[in-house]
Amino acid sequence: MEAVKDILALLVFPGGLFVVFAGMMYEWLDRKLVARLQNRIGPRWFQPIADTVKLLAKEEVLPESVTPFFFVVLPLIALAGALTAVLYTPMVGLEPAYSFPGDLIVTVYMLSLLTLCIGLAGANTRNRFSLVGATRALTQLFAYEAPFLLALFGPAIAAGSWQIGEIAHYAESHWFIFTQPIGFLVALIGLMGKLELPPFDSPEAETEIVAGALTEYSGRGLAIFRIGKGVELVVGLTLIVTFYLGGVANPIVFFVKTIGMLVVMAALQTLLTRLRIDQTVGLWWRYGALLVLLQWAVLIVVQIA
Amino acid sequence: MMTVAAPTTQKSEKFIVPIGPQHPALKEPGHFEFAVDGEIVTDATVRLGYVHRGIEKGTESRNWAQNLYLLERICGICSHTHAFAYVLGVEQLAEVEAPPRARAIRMVVAELERVHSHFLWLGVGAHEAGFDTLFMYSWRDRETVMDLLESLTGNRVNYSACVLGGVKFDINGEQTKGILEGLDFLEKRTHHYLNVIQQDALFLQRTRGVGVMTQQQARQLGVVGPTARASGVARDLRIDAPGQHYNDFNVNMILETDGDLAARFVVRIRDLFESYRIIREILSNMPEGDLVVKRMPRKIKAGETISRVEAPRGEAFYYIKSNGSEMPERIKVRTPTLCNMASVLTLTVGQHLADVPMILVGIDPCFSCNDRSVTVTQPSGQREHWTWEQVRRFGIEYYQRQGGQ
Repeated sequence: MEAVKDILALLVFPGGLFVVFAGMMYEWLDRKLVARLQNRIGPRWFQPIADTVKLLAKEEVLPESVTPFFFVVLPLIALAGALTAVLYTPMVGLEPAYSFPGDLIVTVYMLSLLTLCIGLAGANTRNRFSLVGATRALTQLFAYEAPFLLALFGPAIAAGSWQIGEIAHYAESHWFIFTQPIGFLVALIGLMGKLELPPFDSPEAETEIVAGALTEYSGRGLAIFRIGKGVELVVGLTLIVTFYLGGVANPIVFFVKTIGMLVVMAALQTLLTRLRIDQTVGLWWRYGALLVLLQWAVLIVVQIA
Repeated sequence: MMTVAAPTTQKSEKFIVPIGPQHPALKEPGHFEFAVDGEIVTDATVRLGYVHRGIEKGTESRNWAQNLYLLERICGICSHTHAFAYVLGVEQLAEVEAPPRARAIRMVVAELERVHSHFLWLGVGAHEAGFDTLFMYSWRDRETVMDLLESLTGNRVNYSACVLGGVKFDINGEQTKGILEGLDFLEKRTHHYLNVIQQDALFLQRTRGVGVMTQQQARQLGVVGPTARASGVARDLRIDAPGQHYNDFNVNMILETDGDLAARFVVRIRDLFESYRIIREILSNMPEGDLVVKRMPRKIKAGETISRVEAPRGEAFYYIKSNGSEMPERIKVRTPTLCNMASVLTLTVGQHLADVPMILVGIDPCFSCNDRSVTVTQPSGQREHWTWEQVRRFGIEYYQRQGGQ
């Protein structure tokens, strides 16, 4: 019985099929919202699925200068990392499939694997656009990662636990968006940085470096990276809603909250101009990190008192 | 023919980022090589000529009227400018003058074209900065002026408004009303865009102080049009050389002194307000009379002349030489992009790689207009001039070879 439950958790829900399709639907909603806000029509609902199927069916071109092993394996590691994170996340407001003390730390590191893999994938090729894109992707990783982690750890300190499930239960009665508004903002914007959405899309700024680190990717590798990004979008939004907007809840209520966050993200993407990489780093370290640390200081003082 | 950038080797210390001939930042093919140190550009080179079409040579085997349509196709965006400059030159040679009403209509079309070109540029500029929302909105509003041009001339591009000695169509009361309504809408939108580019903090981060060209540099590099005016160089042919096309209506010089990208945005937007004002003034004081001169000779008197028109991008320069026959002896076109291109190479050095596309687009480049060949250098090193027939045959054979591979 346990084995059946494990297989279901890995392949159907919450990992596997469910989250892959949820990722595509979230991606569609994001694209559609941005398009409507920009006075465009936007894609139809099945567009991300069609894109993925098409990419998976296409021939994968292996560039001459790459190490073939890493070229093939890096997308898989990225997707595996994102899917592993799903297992410890309370998807659609239900209990996480697996849980152990300290799983929050594992989860956030699993989420960082994607960016790391994208950076390495870019550095693996000799394409100049890829190399510049990889440098930018990794620079950006160092910019947003620390503030993003600190922002997610804020509720953990308040709840007195490093286990996502316990924090989620504690958050049911404590809406951290009101007690830790700075952490909430930094987490939300950090997620945009993680997913390289505008205005943090300089690692894949098409007018400068074509497709950035993934320029040489086509076919299967690109499809897997895209699926990974979709999964990460779902996990990131779920974590933020769990931690800051009332923890585990009725799936429908939880879903509505997640969509609300996606709308906010779409609006920010529409409103803001792309930041240069030096501006991104400056923004995170000058404002993001300092503000979160300030909030931490307040938090610790309150906890002790 | 094409130089393919070799992969970075131990031999070259420079890390070169090639942009073009095919690149998402470029709407037309051109090849740039930027040597970068991290994110900072240390050196820039350009190679043009990917869309050379042999139009200048082509004019020499067409008669004066046919050339009007050929020259209009030099540029898809400022097509009227080319027809305008050409008819002015030919009329000077033939010693005829277009009737006042025809001159006024030519000016209306020229200013509407400037409006459409600046809106297009605003969108492209915003897109290079990664501000796609402004791109989408400005191109939506550009449709208004495209519709106006279509209602006047029947075409969205390549309007064929000019004929030798006049214009092809009249502007009636209903069309005037349509234009005025369209302009009111556009003026409202333009105020909004001016606010956005002057106040949006993140957008200003990408434009203010980026690619600064001082007034002295602008003079040394010989830049023209809005690019020069953004650096405080008062250079506008509508004022400097009114000739026979702008002297009936006064035009105000739009100047900005900062010389950075933000100034180039502001100068073009303020140019729009000036264009709206000029169009309104012309429409309310439209002279009466004929549209075309009574007699335009088929053979143009021998001689040579220069005509210049302020295109949306700057000075369009035409040299026309006639030997008294039905066909021109030589037509030489110099488009504003050629004057401005050198400034890109100077300004990008020391800037961030991320700002390069914006600086490039800041001059509003139009590659196909400025590509030209003077001599053909054979692989053996022999240099020769080609006739139109030779150019044509080379083109046909080249594409047959490409298709045969």
